[in-house]
Amino acid sequence: MNELNFKSPTFFERLKGMLGVDFYRLFHTPMFYIFLGIAAIIPAMILGTMGMENPQTGATAAPLYTNVWHIIAAEMPLYVVKNIADYAHMNMVFIFGGIMISIFIGHDYKSGYVKQLFTTHAKKQDYILSKTIVGAFSMACMCVTYLLGAVGAGLFTGISIKINVSSLVIAIISKMIMSLGWASLYTFLNIIFRRYFGVSIVSCFFFGTGILIIGAAAIFGNSSVLNIFLYGSSVYACLSSNIITLLVCLVCSVVWTLIYTIAGTRILSKCDVY
Amino acid sequence: MNAVEIRNLSKSFRGMYAVDNLCMTIPVGAIYGFIGENGSGKSTTEKLICGHLVPDGGEIKLFGKNYTDAGVRVRVGALIENAGCFPNSSVWDNLMMQAINLGLENRAEEIDRVLKIVRMEKHSQLKFKKCSLGMKQRIGIAMALLGEPALLILDEPINGLDTEGMRIMREILVNITKNYGCTVLISSHILGELEKIATHYGIIRQGRMVMEMTASELEGRARVFVSLKTKDMQSAFGLLRKKYNNVRTEEGYIRVYDVNDTEEIVEYLLKNNHIVSKIKKNKIGLEEYYIELMSKKEES
Repeated sequence: MNELNFKSPTFFERLKGMLGVDFYRLFHTPMFYIFLGIAAIIPAMILGTMGMENPQTGATAAPLYTNVWHIIAAEMPLYVVKNIADYAHMNMVFIFGGIMISIFIGHDYKSGYVKQLFTTHAKKQDYILSKTIVGAFSMACMCVTYLLGAVGAGLFTGISIKINVSSLVIAIISKMIMSLGWASLYTFLNIIFRRYFGVSIVSCFFFGTGILIIGAAAIFGNSSVLNIFLYGSSVYACLSSNIITLLVCLVCSVVWTLIYTIAGTRILSKCDVY
Repeated sequence: MNAVEIRNLSKSFRGMYAVDNLCMTIPVGAIYGFIGENGSGKSTTEKLICGHLVPDGGEIKLFGKNYTDAGVRVRVGALIENAGCFPNSSVWDNLMMQAINLGLENRAEEIDRVLKIVRMEKHSQLKFKKCSLGMKQRIGIAMALLGEPALLILDEPINGLDTEGMRIMREILVNITKNYGCTVLISSHILGELEKIATHYGIIRQGRMVMEMTASELEGRARVFVSLKTKDMQSAFGLLRKKYNNVRTEEGYIRVYDVNDTEEIVEYLLKNNHIVSKIKKNKIGLEEYYIELMSKKEES
């Protein structure tokens, strides 16, 4: 006869269980590795195609960047995008991450595994926190592969690689910190649209592009007020970053994570989980 | 102490009540057969117990604690609608994820143990999507059995299985209920199968609990009857109606209800020049009892 003692697991025990499942899934499915590959290939392709000649005219296209590290971030925080070069940098990782998190959470629902999780986990924040942490980890890993892809291809372009190393490191670390905030946003969106997989992906892509902030910047100009938003802070982590940038990103990321986690938990507690 | 105690539970979807003021009591150690037609609210009740749905009102207590208590819920195993496994992962991987989720220490041993119970130890490396329906249901039970659950909730585990699948599943369920001592809530349409294992029954109709009873109470309520055939059925039927209160013609037989003595009937008919060609004693089982109860409810 099974013993009837009901020891309540602590918050950390519960989170450890949920995180264990999510990391096990992450490392045992090809999706994570595919997205890491995509994150490495995209900057390599952008840089690699820069110096290509037109086979008919023999002319070389005007280079998008004058410095290899512009593929990581802009020189200054540019919220107003004037051309594709202003936009195509490491922030693209947050778009890939949004799609990956949507697929990851979507599979929970599609397979029905979410029933097992919610049967044994009475506390809904376990689920949201776990997905956020795993999503943030995935995007941070994508930042690393993006960097490797950019460095690898950048060395062959022949353009300048001069950089203030400390600013570059702070910019990359700041963007990795921003992964947490972005992951919480995507988890939240997937909780809202949990019954509609397609809508989840589209909404994650839409918010991931930062189009709302870019639009706001087009109206209000390059304002540091935009740093209160995830995309704003992600742009703020540029090649002229300093310790203030790191702190701004940290605060923005943590505050939005708290907001989205609390809001997501409330939604899941008040509504049917599937 | 009761394993499950539900008071006035309600749940509606777009204004339609799927569960309406439902009360349910499952004693610890019981095998509770939850019976009802399609759409009667069985699955909704089970999902409410598991915390998948948020009730409109009412109270759910598991082992005397609120059903949202993390300590109780970690001891609930459920198979609701389907196994809830990742199709591209192996049986082993799916079980491993659940073992990690539950925070089990000896995961590999525990997985081996549950795989043996559901007779799937030879198929542990098979991808879940390659498994047959019967195998998937057994894996679902294995998932639910991980971590020695105190309450096992099984929603239609026999449905859709072939005869052999049903036999294996019944043996597994008997094994679990007899040897592992957990309380089981099992819903099924196949009442004949349920009758073989359940110790308690709950009959639900249109979201309301119509009746709860123990297996021995059902036994007490089960009516006996004698079925017979004669050459002149019509005349024999008239004759028997004069002597016995409850005589019916059903399925080509004359049925005399609440009578146990076949000899007395044969003697009576013989005295009146009727030769009995066939006669047998019967008892109303769960299925017949359920149909009768439902038709009475329909009439009222």
